[in-house]
Amino acid sequence: MASSETPKAGKISSLKDLQAIKERVLTDTALRADGYKVCITVHMGTCGIAAGAREIMNTLMDELAASGRRDIRITTSGCIGVCVHEPVMTVERLNSEPVIYAKLDANKARLIFREDALGGKTVSQLALGVGKES
Amino acid sequence: MRDLSLHLLDLIENSTRAGASVVAISIAQERARDLMTLSIEDDGPGLSAPPEKATDPFYTTKPNKRVGLGLSLFAATAERAGGRMEVGTSPLGGLAVRATMQLGHIDRAPLGDIASTLATAICSNPGVDFRVSISVDGKSFDVSSAATAARRIPPDDAAFLVARQVATEIRNAMAALKLIE
Repeated sequence: MASSETPKAGKISSLKDLQAIKERVLTDTALRADGYKVCITVHMGTCGIAAGAREIMNTLMDELAASGRRDIRITTSGCIGVCVHEPVMTVERLNSEPVIYAKLDANKARLIFREDALGGKTVSQLALGVGKES
Repeated sequence: MRDLSLHLLDLIENSTRAGASVVAISIAQERARDLMTLSIEDDGPGLSAPPEKATDPFYTTKPNKRVGLGLSLFAATAERAGGRMEVGTSPLGGLAVRATMQLGHIDRAPLGDIASTLATAICSNPGVDFRVSISVDGKSFDVSSAATAARRIPPDDAAFLVARQVATEIRNAMAALKLIE
């Protein structure tokens, strides 16, 4: 099922609406199929690695271990083209828009994990934007 | 890149993004020969360009990108320490990248946090078998993430738990082997 933000069948007016539905369903299904409720992606291009993305991963793994949760996935992907904002990560909760967080350090990553991944609240002051990487 | 472990992470990311299911990382130090050798091999699709092209910083196979810095930066790091980097085909079937450098060279980059590099790779790629071999003057330590995961009982076989265990084993082995940082 798509989330409440997905256009209803009668309100689809463009190819863009259909694309949005497809992307959302694919995302939701992927998260659910694995039994995960949250997916955190640390962007690990050469730029991200040089800027400190590995320290973000270390922090997230420590936080995940301390939380006792098994329904949160931590993974990596490549550069999303915002090298000047690295280290960058995306937090994706089931049925919510993915949020991209930028210019991270260990403390910010810890705060985002606790507030967003565990608490379900976007940390607006650290967010670069909403949406999937291109 | 501040240290060699970050170069390795960059190359591991290349391998996993190319679809490798096995990634073998080797770190060897031979004090008598003043030699350090780092290699990374995989069973991915291999190189789609001539080796000299792969080290060109303005060459990349990724769409929408203009630069490909990983291999060229690693080559520069090896050369700065009196060594070189070679790119070829691995017995695993994919790409092999091998760098040598003078162990005691004043400009050799430090090894860095190899354990964290492997933890990052294992946590984000639970389907990939990361095989690590560390050797110092003939004494060696080997670990495989797939074998470590197979020994754990669900739900304790979660990727991040396997990653943390392998990282601990690597840290212990590096201390026991007295690896030169």
